[in-house]
Amino acid sequence: MENSDENQSPREDSPEELPSLIRAITAHEVAGFDSPKDHDDTKVQLQSTGFHPLSASIFGIEAAEAEDQTGLSKSQRTHSVSFSMPPSPIEAHIQNTKRVLFRDTETILGSSLPNSAASYTNFGAQTKQARFYSQPMPKGSVLNQATTSGKSANLPLRNPRIEKLRDNRYDSFKTWSGKLERQISNLRGKRQEPEQGSQAKQPAQMESVPVDRYFDALEGPELDTLRASEEILLPDDKQWPFLLRFPISSFGICLGVSSQAIMWKTLASSESTKFLHVSPDVNLVLWLISIALVVIVAAVYALKVIFYFEAVRREYYHPIRVNFFFAPWIALLFLALGVPPSFSKTLHASLWYILMTPIFFLELKIYGQWMSGGQRRLSKVANPSNHLSIVGNFVGALLGASMGLKEGPVFFFAVGLAHYTVLFVTLYQRLPTNETLPKELHPVFFLFVAAPSVASMAWARIQGSFDYGSRIAYFIALFLYFSLAVRVNFFRGFRFSLAWWAYTFPMTGAAIATIRYSSVVTNLVTKILTVVLCLVATLTVTALLVTTIIHAFILRDLFPNDIGIAISDRKPKTTRRWYHRRSGSSESNVENYLKYSNSNGKDIEASVCPPSYNNQELSASSAK
Amino acid sequence: MEIQTSPPEHHPPPPINQTVVSKFVPKRTKNLVPLILTRIHAGYFRITLSLGWQALLWKILLQPIQDSKIAIRAPELFYSTILTIIWSFSLVILIVLSLLYSLKCIFRFSMIKAEFMHHVGVNYLFAPWISWLLILESAPFVTPKHVSFVILWWIFAIPVIILDVKIYGQWFTKGKRFLTAVANPASQLSVVGNLVGARAAAKMEWREVSVFLFSLGMVHYLVLFVTLYQRLSGGDRLPAMLRPVFFLFFAAPSVASLAWYSISGSFDTPSKMLFFLSLFLFASLICRPALFRKAMRRFNIAWWAYSYPITLLALASARYEEEVKGGVSHAIKLLLSGLSVLVLLALLLLTAFNPKLLLPDNDPILLTTALPPPPHSSNSNSTTAPLC
Repeated sequence: MENSDENQSPREDSPEELPSLIRAITAHEVAGFDSPKDHDDTKVQLQSTGFHPLSASIFGIEAAEAEDQTGLSKSQRTHSVSFSMPPSPIEAHIQNTKRVLFRDTETILGSSLPNSAASYTNFGAQTKQARFYSQPMPKGSVLNQATTSGKSANLPLRNPRIEKLRDNRYDSFKTWSGKLERQISNLRGKRQEPEQGSQAKQPAQMESVPVDRYFDALEGPELDTLRASEEILLPDDKQWPFLLRFPISSFGICLGVSSQAIMWKTLASSESTKFLHVSPDVNLVLWLISIALVVIVAAVYALKVIFYFEAVRREYYHPIRVNFFFAPWIALLFLALGVPPSFSKTLHASLWYILMTPIFFLELKIYGQWMSGGQRRLSKVANPSNHLSIVGNFVGALLGASMGLKEGPVFFFAVGLAHYTVLFVTLYQRLPTNETLPKELHPVFFLFVAAPSVASMAWARIQGSFDYGSRIAYFIALFLYFSLAVRVNFFRGFRFSLAWWAYTFPMTGAAIATIRYSSVVTNLVTKILTVVLCLVATLTVTALLVTTIIHAFILRDLFPNDIGIAISDRKPKTTRRWYHRRSGSSESNVENYLKYSNSNGKDIEASVCPPSYNNQELSASSAK
Repeated sequence: MEIQTSPPEHHPPPPINQTVVSKFVPKRTKNLVPLILTRIHAGYFRITLSLGWQALLWKILLQPIQDSKIAIRAPELFYSTILTIIWSFSLVILIVLSLLYSLKCIFRFSMIKAEFMHHVGVNYLFAPWISWLLILESAPFVTPKHVSFVILWWIFAIPVIILDVKIYGQWFTKGKRFLTAVANPASQLSVVGNLVGARAAAKMEWREVSVFLFSLGMVHYLVLFVTLYQRLSGGDRLPAMLRPVFFLFFAAPSVASLAWYSISGSFDTPSKMLFFLSLFLFASLICRPALFRKAMRRFNIAWWAYSYPITLLALASARYEEEVKGGVSHAIKLLLSGLSVLVLLALLLLTAFNPKLLLPDNDPILLTTALPPPPHSSNSNSTTAPLC
């Protein structure tokens, strides 16, 4: 704490509760300001914006102050969360001791406060570049607190600074930790700045998060709810930037709508449903809507890939979200399947190869992970969303067969069938080592219906007729559908999420398969079945549409903070002793206990933990 | 160098292994035959498997397109010379190896029993019979309908069936040796054994027997495929040095495809599907070189496990190319055949120049005799032998 002794420019309007803090900030800030490198940087930066050099440091201080206040005025947790992110470029500059402090939440409680404050200032001084060009976000609460702190004189000018200081917390999730944004802003005409050494950093600080972390930190059928003992890297009290909140499961909307387009097309064109007199225009309208949706969602997600690549990586490592990476390609396949006949009768074969290539490579990666064991083996990560990885094969086979190709569809059908068998057995087993299966019914279970129904249609196309193989697959799909439908009253009490759209396309797929079946076996039963299933599918999609609109415009929480990708890389130290493992994996119990038990008897969160495990730990650790 | 912890023993290992090995280490040069008898195990039949499949591949590649049955023909002198050379070389190696192994059966039967107990080694007990069946099939002068063929087939197929009954029965009945505990990629060799027998029987036009063996193999392949993909116990069922046996993942569907081809008479959709599956698994394994890195540090007999799956895939692709003519299938066939020849040549050269490495004193199959602990119960101790 070398800086706390210097007391150069006491600020009259500093809040009373943090005198030493402010001194520390001021002193360090001045020191930082005096060093030539920073000086140049700040000067250059300020010249580009026309600010006075001196006031910049003031802004930095005040911004840090405000940051500090807001941080400290909230719970400790927020405070620590702000600075526990490993890969910030800022931290490379800070001495190692200080960086270590950031990781341990409880050490910030104690005497390290000035340290962290000093680090705040380092934060402030050396990362001006990082902050300067990041996206300004409305931070109402921050501004209010800055206002109340009494620095009203320069408040309007200060706002961009405060906002940009805030944005640093998202830097770890940005592509190259924000460098890309700076590059883009540079390209847009701002003055070039010399590259700082601090930006060289980063390293593999954001290396792949092991899948165990996801299981440890999250719970819920979609693994998106944070466990009580965990913390996240990003502030959970603020609304994150929109791109950060945009999950890949948004592609589920495209799946849902485009499969509806296919259904209406089949309804209009199939002989067994001629009695319904469905107009082909419904298909046209739905298809155009789904094209628009795909374009929009893809564009937004592409922006996320460009600007927040780190977040995309974390989604890829999420055991449930990884399956949604197939969703864009399946949506494109659906679009090709649902092309209105008025547009084109047949599509070119090369389109099929283009569409299947990304699926092929994704499959190689994901199935290989299952096969080679390791932390992402199937017995551990199997969950109903894995069906999304399998269904792509069957959809591709269906499309290829409708285009008239022979070998390619059979290839993907074979691969899909083999892996579907494995997945089906694994999910039915509900292995105790399986972490991700929801204990209660959840709409994700409807994905079970997807693969057999699409497989039956694909096989019918490949063989040329709806033969026994197709019928077997179709009946399996039907059985699964009914066994879920009669349990519909158990689908209660779940938080709506965008991923629910992805669970509607199996219903639509079953409806389409029924239409195909009824054209082969035409009698009253099949016709009624067709009508019923199509109605159910349409009603579900409509209800989902209404819910989505309600959430989007009225409740405004369609895109909540995406907790699932913001888990920390390591367990918080205070809570490691209370780390509650799943029952049945005794080896991890032992392992955990040996690794993480500390002799610190004090624990803040002693009250919230399951008693049985705690007593054992408590007695064991108190005996030390 | 990898260091793996020794397994927690459920029963003390038969001491004979350790003492025999340690006894012979210093007297290596003087007691070659006893040394070989000690060190050799059924895994060495990988060599004969590779050679046998290679001979079969050449036989099929070089014969003109005819009906699917192997028949006596009068090939051109060049072709028959090549075939005869390859085939006789394989036969010689197989005879030598079989003699050595039968000597081991006589003199060191307890080691054979230990091999049978080992969860990886037991599957290689199929290997000699498969090799003999292959030699039989790829012989350039034998017709399948000849009496001698039939007799020899029965001689080689009966042990396969006996082993089937024993091993498959254990999978679902026996206490400690149930499938989830013992399943490992080498278990697919038992499936290969059944399917090779089925194929040979189909060539003999023994329809029912071949379908019997085929269904036996396929059912257990299904179970095994699912179990292996689940990887319930993670990656420690197989020592890192034995990673090349992962190639068996795509060997089994290839030979299934060939067997179905022989049974049904043409390369129809099920055969195609099995062939495509094995192609996909091959691509998937090729893209993961990190999986094999540890095994590639030093040459050992397990490297021979690379060769015959590729040859099998090349065989299947040759049959596929007969059915679906086209540039792509032709290219695949040429590529795979070329690759299999290259790999075999490389392995032959490596073996010729490093004969000592073929008889290591720390072979995982020989040293580990305890059954690996079943999953869920113990810590993450690896079940592999110490390797230095």
